Amino acid sequence: MSLEGSVVHILVVHPGRYSEPGGALDPGLVACTSSLERLGSGVQWEHVRDAERALALCVERRFDLVVADAARGAVCEAILAGIDAGGPPVIVVGEGLSDECALEMFRRGAADCVTLKPDDVEALPIAALEQIERAREVRQRGAAERRIRDLERYTENIIRNMNSALLVVDPDGRITYCNAPAGAILGEDARALRGREVWRWFGGDSATILSQTLANGSSTKGAEQVITREDGVVIPIGISCAPFVDAEGARIGAIAIFQDLSEVKQLQSQVLQTEKMASIGQLAAGVAHEINNPMGFVHANLAQMAEYLADVRSVWERVAELLQSVESQDLATIRKSADALADHVREVDLAYVISDFGKAIRESQEGSERIRHIVQDLREFSHSETGERVLADVNQCLDSTATIVWPMMKQIVNLEKDYEDLDPIACFPMQVKQVFMNLLVNAYQSIESAVGESGEMGTIWLRTRQRSDGVAVEVTDTGVGILEANLDRIFDPFFTTKKVGSGTGLGLSTSFGIVQRHGGRMTVESKLGVGTTFSLFLPTGEDAGGLGGFGGG
Amino acid sequence: MRGGSEASVEAEPAALRRTLLVVDDEVRILSALRRTLRREGYEIVTSESVHRALEILDERPVDVILSDQKMPGMSGLQFLAEAAVRRPGAARLLFTGWTQEIPADALERLGIVALINKPWDDAQLKETLRRACDPDAPPPAVDPANPPGLGG
Repeated sequence: MSLEGSVVHILVVHPGRYSEPGGALDPGLVACTSSLERLGSGVQWEHVRDAERALALCVERRFDLVVADAARGAVCEAILAGIDAGGPPVIVVGEGLSDECALEMFRRGAADCVTLKPDDVEALPIAALEQIERAREVRQRGAAERRIRDLERYTENIIRNMNSALLVVDPDGRITYCNAPAGAILGEDARALRGREVWRWFGGDSATILSQTLANGSSTKGAEQVITREDGVVIPIGISCAPFVDAEGARIGAIAIFQDLSEVKQLQSQVLQTEKMASIGQLAAGVAHEINNPMGFVHANLAQMAEYLADVRSVWERVAELLQSVESQDLATIRKSADALADHVREVDLAYVISDFGKAIRESQEGSERIRHIVQDLREFSHSETGERVLADVNQCLDSTATIVWPMMKQIVNLEKDYEDLDPIACFPMQVKQVFMNLLVNAYQSIESAVGESGEMGTIWLRTRQRSDGVAVEVTDTGVGILEANLDRIFDPFFTTKKVGSGTGLGLSTSFGIVQRHGGRMTVESKLGVGTTFSLFLPTGEDAGGLGGFGGG
Repeated sequence: MRGGSEASVEAEPAALRRTLLVVDDEVRILSALRRTLRREGYEIVTSESVHRALEILDERPVDVILSDQKMPGMSGLQFLAEAAVRRPGAARLLFTGWTQEIPADALERLGIVALINKPWDDAQLKETLRRACDPDAPPPAVDPANPPGLGG
């Protein structure tokens, strides 16, 4: 029998007097307390004589056990009624407890009933110890359960309050857990989703990431894909998947965290559109400049040719007059008409008019031919945008872009081309050209800043190389170069060193995005005062071989 | 191809004739301007090269200078600044494509009397040149909604 060193507090409720000086000692009480003292030095007991006082003490202090004397049934009943399930256990003691009485006490919530007999002094301490330990166990279990409940509530709160959608699936892809944001993205109440198969949303291509995680336990971070809701709405999401592993290390499913990227995508496409407009602006400026000159002289020549025609017509009128006068056979009339004609021919400078008329026509033809060429270049530059990847020759993309921007830069730039024969790559040619145009215009502007109006020329080198898995392109200029501190930022959106109004600050970030969407890379090297090289790599493309089967390489 | 600095002499009384120097690296523009202005009474001198044009300015008096802005070796603004040193009395005009922005203070500083956009309007060009030669002449009756190219 042991209390393992701890102190137990026992409240004894007994009508008998015990501690009051001069009072007669109640033998029942003595039997009770002395038998409790057998529990050891750790026992501290208190004695009260009525239920009211006992219950008050129980509220004030914590007792491990209440021992109540059955001799006064009403007191016992009051105590049993006043101490609830969370309170200390109550043992009812008596000298001759009848079975009915004991049964009644049990019924009213007594933890135990013990008959005090002089020959069985251990009965009460054994029962007391048992009750104290049981109560202690219950208390401990309750605390542990409370801790678990708190922890569960805590995790649940984290999961519920986090902005990201969280989905847990079993090895078959059935949803075992789904938080509210996940429900919102999938378009259903989160609770209703449990037990349903996830493939109805994560079907098709989007299944791969999650099904890979389920199949081989691989983790994926920040992949982009789309899900299709039951109402047909397609939502772009960014998703990370990890295997769900239990305490023993066994894979019991997968955890997916994802975000709705609709808004991000919309912003992205706005940015893309802005940059496209800016590119078109640059393009238009270059084209307009190139068309201005031929347009200018063709326009002026046409006006002049109209005048020449009027001159020729006026001469013809006098020729007609002369022919008429010949019919009259009157020599004086004929001479007069001939003189008028000769005067007029001199006056309008007919020889010059006729020779220059021809020249004006030839020059105008040449001008309109130049304009036709520009339009052809433009068509070459902008054709073939089908919204799908097509096989394209990067050399051709680079060349047609260079042709378009060349007139804008020819006065200060030498263009050096160093092309290698390239296998076609699967790409969006117009987007690739947009990247090239951006790099070329940047190179030109950088050279413009470097040479100013000194009359010096800069050089832009265009290099292409065939690599085993794709195509490498380099655009190098002899411009001002980029500050080392800026090199890390030049691909950031809205970063620009150009003066206000000269650049959107989106050109390079958009180009970077385009290259990335093609699965490629773009890097920059630069030295202040020397020049800059942009290097990009465009992979052949996974489905390049499948596009008509002439991907080769 | 026509020579860069060829002078064309029109049959007009020498005393009334003004000399117009046109500088543009596009030879067809020079040719077209000769045609357009051939009855305007100018002695027209043209040059495809700014450097040759500066030599011409050293060689002979010029009343009006019309220069393209975008040329290899030297911009029109730079050329007109040089021209102002050589022939301060000559009126200076600048041809521009719409892609170039010419700062207003540069125009004032260099005493450029007019900007002319390419492609130009023949009638406006003629009128602008006339007024550049003779700033005191009364302005012609023009459509107020569509004034000649001054400051254009």
